[in-house]
Amino acid sequence: MKTHSQKPFYISNVIVAIMVVAFMIISLFPFFWILITSFKPSSEIFGTTAFQVISKDPTWENYFVVIFDKNIIKSVFNSLIVAGSTTIYVVIIASLSAYIIARFTFTGKSLLMGIVLSVSMFPQMIVVGPIFNMFYKLGILNSYFLALAYSTITFPTAVWIMVAHFKSVPLSIEEAARIDGCSPWQTLWKIVFPVASSGVATTAIMTFIAAWNEYLLAITLNVNKEYQTVPVAINALRTQYSVFWGQITAATVLVVIPTIIIVLLFQKKIVGGISNGAVKE
Amino acid sequence: MKKLNWKTSLFLLPLVIMLATFSFYPIISSFVYSFFDYQTNDQSIANLYTTNHFNAKLFYEDCDYLLFYIPDDAALVDEADRAQFENIMDSIRTNMAPYKDKDTVIRLNKADIARLKTFVRTTQNDLNTIYQNNTERQFYNKENNQLLLNEMKQCFITPNNVGFKNYQALVHDPRFWTSIKNTLVFTIISVFFEFLIGMGLALVMARAIKGIGSIRTAALIPWAIPTAVSALIWSYLYDGSSGIIAHIFAQIGLIASPQSMLLTAQGAMSAAILADIWKTAPYMALLLLAGLEVIDRGLYESASLDGCNKVQTFFKITFPLLKPSILVALLLRTLDAFRVYDLLAILTGGGPGGATETVSIYSYKVLVGQSNYGYGSAIIIGMFICVALIATIFVKILGTDISN
Repeated sequence: MKTHSQKPFYISNVIVAIMVVAFMIISLFPFFWILITSFKPSSEIFGTTAFQVISKDPTWENYFVVIFDKNIIKSVFNSLIVAGSTTIYVVIIASLSAYIIARFTFTGKSLLMGIVLSVSMFPQMIVVGPIFNMFYKLGILNSYFLALAYSTITFPTAVWIMVAHFKSVPLSIEEAARIDGCSPWQTLWKIVFPVASSGVATTAIMTFIAAWNEYLLAITLNVNKEYQTVPVAINALRTQYSVFWGQITAATVLVVIPTIIIVLLFQKKIVGGISNGAVKE
Repeated sequence: MKKLNWKTSLFLLPLVIMLATFSFYPIISSFVYSFFDYQTNDQSIANLYTTNHFNAKLFYEDCDYLLFYIPDDAALVDEADRAQFENIMDSIRTNMAPYKDKDTVIRLNKADIARLKTFVRTTQNDLNTIYQNNTERQFYNKENNQLLLNEMKQCFITPNNVGFKNYQALVHDPRFWTSIKNTLVFTIISVFFEFLIGMGLALVMARAIKGIGSIRTAALIPWAIPTAVSALIWSYLYDGSSGIIAHIFAQIGLIASPQSMLLTAQGAMSAAILADIWKTAPYMALLLLAGLEVIDRGLYESASLDGCNKVQTFFKITFPLLKPSILVALLLRTLDAFRVYDLLAILTGGGPGGATETVSIYSYKVLVGQSNYGYGSAIIIGMFICVALIATIFVKILGTDISN
C-alpha cells in the first residue's frame, strides 16, 4: 500500500498509531483496574474512594486471605492436573489419528473428518446431562476424571491442527525411513513427530488453554470444593449475600498470571493455532 | 497416499473410541431423553422406562410397615374383626414375600402388576371396612396405614416415553421463544461489532510491523483467560456501587445511574455484549489477519500502479480474496455466540427478569436446576437445530464461494 504523496501517508500513520494505542488501553484496562483493586483495603473499595487509582493504604491482606483461607492455590493445582492430563492424552490420540488421516487413503475418511468437524459445532450443552449421568453411575463425579469429559471440546481443534502440520511434512523423509525398515509406529514416533514438533506444541497449547478455561462441565461434574477448577472456584468466592471484590480481584490476579505467562511465551504458536483452525479448512 | 491396512488402522482406534464414548453416546442420549418425561427428582420417572416397572424395594418396606402398625389396631377390636385383621396380614405376608432383597426397581409382567394392584386395592378396602365398623374407637395407625397404601400405589411405574409431548410443550413455551430471541439479539449484535472492530484491527495489524509483538499480546490475553474469569472481572467493572465502567458510563450520560448497568434489561444485555466484544474482537482480528497474510502482496503493488486508491484496493482486492476467511471467522463466532453460557450465567444469571436468558441458560436451569432431563433435553435439541441451520447456511455460502 504505497502512496506517492507524503502527507496522507503521514496522517494515516497517526490514525493507525492512535487506534493501536486505544486498542491496547481498552484491552488491558480491566487487568490494570483488577490489579490496583487487589491491593486496596475493603474500606477503599466501596463508597467515595472506590474510583481512586492509587490506594492510600495498600495491603497484601486480600492475597493472604485467598491463598490461606480460601485455598485458591488448591484450585490452581486441580486445574493444572485436569488441563495437563487432558493435554497429554489429546495430543497423543490426536496425533496418532491425524497421521493416518494425513498419510493414508481409506473409506470413510471424509466421514471421519466430517464427524470431527461437526462435534466442534454441537452446542456443548447437549453432552452435559448424559455425561453427568455417566459419571454418576461410574462414581467418578468430583474427581480428576473430569479430564475425560473434555475430549469433546478439545479433539476437533487438535485433530485439525495436527492434520495440517503432518501434511506439511515432506513425504520423502518417510519414504527414506520406510526403506530403512521402519514400521509405521517407528516412522511416526522417530521421524514425523520430531519434524512436526511445532504442530505438536501448538496443539498442546491450544488444548491446554481450552481445558484450563472450561466452565460448564467443571461446574456440573466437580462441585466439591476439593476438586473445583479455577473458573469454578473463583466464582464460588462471590456468594449470594456478600461480594468481597478485594478477594475476588486478588484471586483473579493470581489465576490470570499462568495464562499471561503462556501467552507471552507462546504467542506465535497460539496465533498459528488460531489461524490453522480458520484458514486450512 | 498409501492404503490403510488393519494394523495401521489401529492408530485411529483411540480417537474413535473417545469420540464415541464422550461425544456421540451423550449426543444420542440427549435425543432419547427428549422423548421421555424424565425427571430425576421424582422416583416414578427418575429413569427411562419403556415397559412397566415396579419399585420392589419401596413396596416391601411399605408392607413391612403395615405389618408393624396393624397389630396395634387389631388389639382394640372384637374377635371377628381381629380375625379379619389377621387375614389382611396373611395376605400382605404372601404378597410381599417374593420381593424381599430385590433391586430398587424391577421389570414386571402385566399379570403380576394386575395382581399386585388388586392386592393393594382390596387391602385398602378391607382395612376401611374394619375401621368403618368401629368408628367409635380411636385407632393408633388409621392415618399411617392410609398413607402407606397410597404410597404403595406409586410403586407401579408406567412407561414414561411421551413421544413428541416435550416438543409440543416447547413450541408453546413463551419462555423458550424469549430465550431464542435473546440469544439472537446477543449473537447478531456482538458478532456484527466484533467483525467490524476485528476487521479494522486486522488491517492495522497487517501494517504495523513495529511493535506487532506487544499488539499481539494485548489481543491474545483477553481471549486466553477463562470466560468465567473475565465475566467476573466485568461484573466488578459494571457493579452499581464500586464499578468503574458503570461509574464512567453514568457520568457521560450513557446510562441513568451506575445501578442501571446490570439491573435494567437493556443495560444488562449491552453489558454482556460489550464484555463479549472486548474478549473476542481481538480473536476475530487474528482469524482475519491469518487470511490477510496469505493474500499475494504483488496484487497490491499492481493495483497501486494502476492508480487504485486504498478504498478501491480494499473492496476490489482485499475483501473478495478475504471472503472465505471472513465466512469461516463469522461461522466460528456466530456458533460460539449462539451457544453462550459462561459469560451470561456469571454476569447476569439470565436476569434481570429473564431479559438476558439465552437458550443455553434456560436449558441448564431446567436440566440441572430442576433435574428435568426430558424437557431440558428438548430445549437443547431445539438449540441444536438452530445451530445446525446456522452452520448449514454458512457452509452453503462458503461452498458456492469456493466453487466460484
